[in-house]
Formats: sequence, C-alpha cells, structure tokens
Amino acid sequence: MRASDAALIERIVAKDEAALAVLYDRYAGMVCSMLNRILRDKQAAEEILQDIFYQLWRTAGRFDSSRGSLAGWLIVIGRNRAISLLRRHNPSQGEELLENTVVLPSNLEGRLAQEQSFRRVESALAALPREQRAAVELAYFEGMTHSEIARRTGDPLGTVKTRLRSAMESLKRNLQMETR
Amino acid sequence: MSGHPTREEDFDLYALGALEGEEKETIESHVAGCAACSRKLAEAHGRIAMLALGAPRVEPSQSVRERLMSSLHPTVDDRTVKLPPAEPEQAGGFFGRWWAAVLAPAAVVLALAAFFLWTENSRLDRQLTELRAKVQEQQKQLDYARNVAHLMEAKDTISVSLAPMPGMPNGAVKVMYNEKMGMLMYDGWIEPPPEDKSYQLWVVPMEGNPISVGVFNPATSDSAHWLTKIPEGVPAKAFAITLEPAGGAAAPSGPQVLAGPAS
Repeated sequence: MRASDAALIERIVAKDEAALAVLYDRYAGMVCSMLNRILRDKQAAEEILQDIFYQLWRTAGRFDSSRGSLAGWLIVIGRNRAISLLRRHNPSQGEELLENTVVLPSNLEGRLAQEQSFRRVESALAALPREQRAAVELAYFEGMTHSEIARRTGDPLGTVKTRLRSAMESLKRNLQMETR
Repeated sequence: MSGHPTREEDFDLYALGALEGEEKETIESHVAGCAACSRKLAEAHGRIAMLALGAPRVEPSQSVRERLMSSLHPTVDDRTVKLPPAEPEQAGGFFGRWWAAVLAPAAVVLALAAFFLWTENSRLDRQLTELRAKVQEQQKQLDYARNVAHLMEAKDTISVSLAPMPGMPNGAVKVMYNEKMGMLMYDGWIEPPPEDKSYQLWVVPMEGNPISVGVFNPATSDSAHWLTKIPEGVPAKAFAITLEPAGGAAAPSGPQVLAGPAS
C-alpha cells in the first residue's frame, strides 16, 4: 500500500533514507520539469532538485503536513530557487516559506492523480486567450512582475494588469471547478 | 492592520509574484496579522503552484538520485574530529587529568578510525586504478577486433601465405594487406631466431624501397597475431620476413626467412 506524504515525512524525521527515496521518486519528475522550464538548463535544474530534497531531509521536522501539501512546498521552494538563480538575487522568500503553508487544490501523491492534474492544468492554460497565457507564463516561469511584463511585451501596464487578473479568475474557476 | 484585500485575485497575483511596490506591501502587511487571509494566501500559493504542471515533462538523470542518497552520509572529512590543542596539565588540576583520561582513549580510537579510513581509501584508489586499466585494455582489444573485422570484410584485402626459404628457420605465416586502408595483419609462427637477432616484416612495393612493417621475436613475444598501420596507398609487389640484428634495420640487410608474392 502506498504510504502518504505525511507518513513518509515522519519517517524522514526519524532519518529513514528509504522514505526520502520514495518521496523523491514520487515528485522529482514533476519538480525537475518545472525547474528545467524556468532555467532551460537541465544540469542547473538537477542541482536545485537535489538541493531541495536534501533540505527536506535536514528540515523535515519543521514541516507540518496537517497545514499544507508537501508537493506544493517542493514546487514553491523550487520555483523560488530557480527564479532567484535566473534573476541572480537572494532566494530569501523561499526560505521564509519553510514555516508557511501551500494548500494545493489537488492531491498529487499518486501517479494517476498527477497525470490527471497535468491534464487539468494543460487544459486550463489552453483555455486562456493567447495574451493572457503568455503573461501568466512570463510571471510564473520567468518571475516577472506586472511592470516587467509590460516592458517585455511593450503593452501598457494597465493592460497587463487586466490580463493577469482575468487569467487568475479563469484559472481559479477552471482548476477549482474540475476538482469538485 | 490594513483592511482585507477587496479582490480575491490579489492573493493569486501575489503568489504569482506579479505584484510590486505598494500593492505587494499591502498584502504582506495584512496577511501577517489576519489568519483568514493567511489561509487564502496559502490556497492561492497552491493554485499558482499547480501551474508548474504546465511545464514540458523532463525526468531527472538517475545520477541525481544517487548523489542525493549518498549526500545523506557524512564524508570522511566530516567525521574527522579536530582535537583542541593540548593544555598544560597544571591548568586543569584534577579535572584536567580526568578529561585527559577520557579524551586520550577517544583520541586513540579516532586515530585508529582515521588510519582505517585512510587504508580503506587507498585500497579503493588502487581498485579504481586497476579497473581503469582493465577498461583501457578491453577498449584496445575491442579496437583491435574491430580493425581485424574491417580488414577481413574489405573486398580489396589480399591474403598472402609466406613460404619458408631453404636453410632458414621453419615457419608458416599468412599476411593480410589492404593498401587503401594502409593496414596489415600478421598471423602465424616461426621458429625463434638466433640470439641477438630479430625478424623484420617488409612490404615490397611496386616501386621504391621495402617498407618496414614490424620487428618481432617469437622467443620473447607470444603474439602470433598482430595488426599494424603503414602509409595508405602503397601497392604491394611482395612481402618478406628477413633476419636482422635485434631491434631491426632501416633497410633489409639479412637473409630472407619467409617470403611470398602479392599476386
């Protein structure tokens, strides 16, 4: 029977290496894909991947499974590290999130659940108008703020803000609707 | 504390990292003191985290997993304990002697452990060197076999049996030669030469002087097969093995032991 993330975290706190290996096998592909998309450099992506799983090994005792999702934590920490590397600034936000929580709208612990979520996100992104999707990808995968996106695309700041807000509304609606 | 954000999407935009300046600070200062909005922000982080699944899929290399798992164990250097410098005994009095009594065996144990790890490391280094040498040797054998196969498969490779000359050491040698590839293979045996002498194999070209292919001595080498490269594009008229001073000669100077025409 598949062990839950929470049970595996408890075993990691007790320094059970096999538990870390199970979690790595469960989430490494998903996290590595995101890191590689941000950095466009597989070697750099793999270094961060190894680093965040090692951080999990060292600090698992500080993770409260009842308050948030491990998969969400790995994604948020990984994204912060990758964008910090991309933009060459200190990943302070990622470290602060150690005590914060990330509540995913979907459970990603099983391979089937991950596959379903992949498809759900793909279809939610595909449903966005082209400019909205481009703005979301610049913000998420390149770490750009409203004004940086406006500079990059040459669009007025107000237009960019409206696009991103509309995109957030659509994504929230589509992702949550399909998880019900 | 400022009021609740008026629009729910503000949490998503904050989690996305799109907000800046006053908009960003407003959310941060409010969430710090509002449990309900802190929860909303956690959910927004979760929704935004799902965007990671929109990335093209890339599997990490197997070596990452291996490096991760091996990094969980401290290295030899991490385990090496640096002992503090010894202090004069009178400074510690009774307690100093007591600590010394405890630390001395510990230091001995550590020294033994360090010695054990050092010898183990040396042993592994030696094994690694041996394995590298084996791999190199196998690579050489593989290259040899590949070249032999190429030589034998080529349609323009000629095969010549060399006949022993009267009164000379007996032998049976076959030569395979491909002029385009500039490659020659020796296969056979000859009785050992007299002391201080070697055999030398020559390609006798259609024009020009004989070209030395190799110097060998069956008494000191057990190789009955060898492959060698010579300049490409030399049409051969004949092949000959001569008896030469040990180490060979620049041009044939001794009697022919075995020889055969190329056609």
